[in-house]
Amino acid sequence: MGMLLLSAAPAAGQTIVTSAGPDDVDVTLYRAPNRAAETPLDLEWLEGYALISETRRVAIPAGESEIRFEGVAGGIVPQSAIVTGLPEGVIERNRDAQLLSAATLLDRSLGRRVHLRRTSRATGAVEEQVAIIRSGAGGAVVLQTRDGFEALRCTGQNETLVYDEVPAGLSARPTLSVRARSNRAVAASVTVAYLANGFDWQANYIATLSADGSRADLFAWLTLASMDETSFRSADTQAVAGRLNRTEPEDGDDEGDGARRLSLRCWPAGTTSSLGDVTVVNSQEIRLQGTTRTEDLINELPQSFATEQSIVVTAMRARQEELGDLKLYRIPEPVTVAANSQKQVAFLEQPAVRVDLVYRSRLSLGSSGEMDPPNRLLVTRNRSEEGLGMPLPAGSVQLFGPGARPILLGEGTIPDRAVGEDVEIDVGEAVGVTVENEEVDSGRHWEDHILTVRSDHDAPIRYEAEFDVEEHETVRPASRLPRRLGRPLWAVTVPANGSASLRYRRRWTDD
Amino acid sequence: MRALLLLTTLLAGPAVAQIQAEIPPPSQSAQGQVAVTIYNNNLALVQDQRQLDIPSGRSRQEFPDVSAQIRPETVTLTGQGIGIVEQNFDFDLLSPQALMQKAVGETITLVRTNPATGAESRERARVLAANGGVVLQIGPRIEVLRDDGLPVRVIFDRVPENLRARPTLSVTVQSERGGRRPLTLTYLTPGLGWSADYVALFDESAGRMDVQGWITLTNNSGTPYVNADTLLVAGAVGEGQPQPRYGGRPQGPLRQAGTESADRERLGDFYLYPLPERTTIANRQTKQVSFLDVAGTPAVRAYEYRNAWLGTTDEPQSANTVLRFSSSREQGLGDALPAGTVRVYQRDARGNPQFVGESAIGHTPMGSELGLTTGQAFDVKVRAVVERRERLASDRWRTTMRYTLTNARPNPVTIDLMQSGLWGDTRIVAESMPSQRRSADDALWRVPVPANGEASVTATFDTRF
Repeated sequence: MGMLLLSAAPAAGQTIVTSAGPDDVDVTLYRAPNRAAETPLDLEWLEGYALISETRRVAIPAGESEIRFEGVAGGIVPQSAIVTGLPEGVIERNRDAQLLSAATLLDRSLGRRVHLRRTSRATGAVEEQVAIIRSGAGGAVVLQTRDGFEALRCTGQNETLVYDEVPAGLSARPTLSVRARSNRAVAASVTVAYLANGFDWQANYIATLSADGSRADLFAWLTLASMDETSFRSADTQAVAGRLNRTEPEDGDDEGDGARRLSLRCWPAGTTSSLGDVTVVNSQEIRLQGTTRTEDLINELPQSFATEQSIVVTAMRARQEELGDLKLYRIPEPVTVAANSQKQVAFLEQPAVRVDLVYRSRLSLGSSGEMDPPNRLLVTRNRSEEGLGMPLPAGSVQLFGPGARPILLGEGTIPDRAVGEDVEIDVGEAVGVTVENEEVDSGRHWEDHILTVRSDHDAPIRYEAEFDVEEHETVRPASRLPRRLGRPLWAVTVPANGSASLRYRRRWTDD
Repeated sequence: MRALLLLTTLLAGPAVAQIQAEIPPPSQSAQGQVAVTIYNNNLALVQDQRQLDIPSGRSRQEFPDVSAQIRPETVTLTGQGIGIVEQNFDFDLLSPQALMQKAVGETITLVRTNPATGAESRERARVLAANGGVVLQIGPRIEVLRDDGLPVRVIFDRVPENLRARPTLSVTVQSERGGRRPLTLTYLTPGLGWSADYVALFDESAGRMDVQGWITLTNNSGTPYVNADTLLVAGAVGEGQPQPRYGGRPQGPLRQAGTESADRERLGDFYLYPLPERTTIANRQTKQVSFLDVAGTPAVRAYEYRNAWLGTTDEPQSANTVLRFSSSREQGLGDALPAGTVRVYQRDARGNPQFVGESAIGHTPMGSELGLTTGQAFDVKVRAVVERRERLASDRWRTTMRYTLTNARPNPVTIDLMQSGLWGDTRIVAESMPSQRRSADDALWRVPVPANGEASVTATFDTRF
């Protein structure tokens, strides 16, 4: 802080006020707009985003000042920032993409006086001399010393640069700055709200089937994830379901933001023993802060966070609210949205939801032979009559069997389902149910088929076959088939350890 | 630095007297009075007036701190009593490699360190080549630099004059008289751009919204512009190409272009947005300045769904949520809107504003009607199903569509249902409610859907495909 004050403001007569972190924070997570429910959360690459609203108490001096809000999310979309609560309003707001790093330190020290320190390998003697950096950080350093001009780290000696101070405008943490003007000194409570990338969430449903297969206990987690470098402690946390329109991010935004590496290049350093035309041998790399996520996580977080993701917080449940055409899930108590972490909070517990297990195939009329096994679908309707009747945000579904030792019966996904909609969850291919389509007779422009479904289950099952009818085809079964969504549908109950069959005639015209 | 100045002065030919400006540290820019005019299409016009002491006769003037992406062919330099002989843009940047390659044929100093004792010994060497490795002539011997891997420091006596730390423009001028005077440098550069960002807080129950507009300026040109007088031009210059248009394109936000003139400064076709005071545009900085603040503009929410072709949707699809408002003086924002992004917020149950979606708009004249798609409604869905498709003749088909519209909200809604893909000689021969044929390509039904209920529309199309 003192250092920042010393290190010269960009414009004269302007004081720099630094706010190190928020006093209160409110985080709302939004899902990745284009991630399908089948795609799991990739904690290394989260494509959703968050609205972060921070309240900070700032002492604003009289006159013009630059207020630096440190510790905003690294993924901040600066164009989206809203700053309210400043006395005279905001003159302008800026986001400096430059974090303090080895590369930016060098970059900003161009033309400045630094100290070159050499340590003798033989004696350990340390020699320090004044040098001026004559080149930028574009990958190479040329120094002017009392002897002449030299390149840094091309000598094979142990040498490094020592700086007197951090150049102005470099901050250790992502920073949003605002130029404000006040006619007197005030202590203001300022709200900074902005969108930030690098967050995501989804619902994870766990359904446990009853012994007779007619009911399921449904439980659901809100799974929240952040890959941001900033942790938000004691945050009022929400998640929003539904699809929001996002515009394409502008190119060139935040390119190389702080995570840039510094690599020092030298002159050609081939030797008589090197093979081929090796141009750069003596290159040295310095890895920067923020590039290795896992290390950051371990160093930055207190021990409790590291274990938090495995603890199930069943005593607390997120509550659903309406937000325009979207659904908002509010976690009732403040929680910490930690950097590079995942967190789960329950939001739904519905015992004994009425469900059906249906086996379904989709077939073309002219197919023949052994068909692919039908899919198993867990079918219900999102109504209170069925024991549901609440918005179901998109997510994955795990279906477990009953009993003291649950068995995973299948996995599937559901898209966003509103109240009143049919819910069908495909939980994988059936085992023990086979479908055969046999061509039994044919003539000019027609053929007769017998579709047979066989089951080895010891209870009756529901089976459905949907037919894709081409434009030049017609189907005439023995009994007229009903249509569902424009497709002929054969729905039948297959008896225990039995079979069922349908005979139909396919006709077509020459196209 | 003294030695450097001396050496470079000595090296320069006698015809051109040289004034080598000292490279200032980054906080002290060599820029003078800077005026920047920024267009929307990644282009800016920079005018930089510097006070320079120009001797009589020919001299070379250095202009460090020009944009690193300067288009040198667009540079003009004006000043009293000067004529331009030639101008050069040097972008050969100073690096160890460039330094060594430029030192071929020159003599350098080697400092060897004894690994056992740390003792230093110096000798002079001539650089013969710097291809792959550095070949040196030391007295009568020929050696490769650091071939034995032992530490060797290389000290150069000087930096060649055209190797620079930063991109620098140099101009050789002819002056009638000596003396200090202002020189104005004007050039175009990419890397600077701007767009508008709007924050719209929508109050659905009141049917109103508050809108703030911000100008967002980005500088990726590689150079800061210090204390610049900044003017933003809403428009793009040059690169005028017709926008490609495709059939069945999703509907843009501009529903009806306006014809009113806004109370803003104009130049030709463009609206101008001058920043109220001088500002420093740092490199890789995003800067925002307010330009619009309107409260209580009427706004309504609507639902739209477009079926792109006569096909079945396997899943019910959410209808688009559209925010409709006007930019007119009487009934709306009362301003021309430069192109940018509108972010829409609504208050949650606790009264905190929450983000509900964003949409891009183009340059929008005042008086326009807008419909911004902010997202897809969770509770309002449409499912289109091909009920029947019959072939009437070799090139005539009859397709019966059924659209099921569902609403899980506790209030009734109206959905604008559009069927596209009706190009060619397509007729609607039967329909359960009357449609509007908005264009040859699409038909529109305005379908009321009851609260927590559903509605359906059927239509039969006679098509040639």
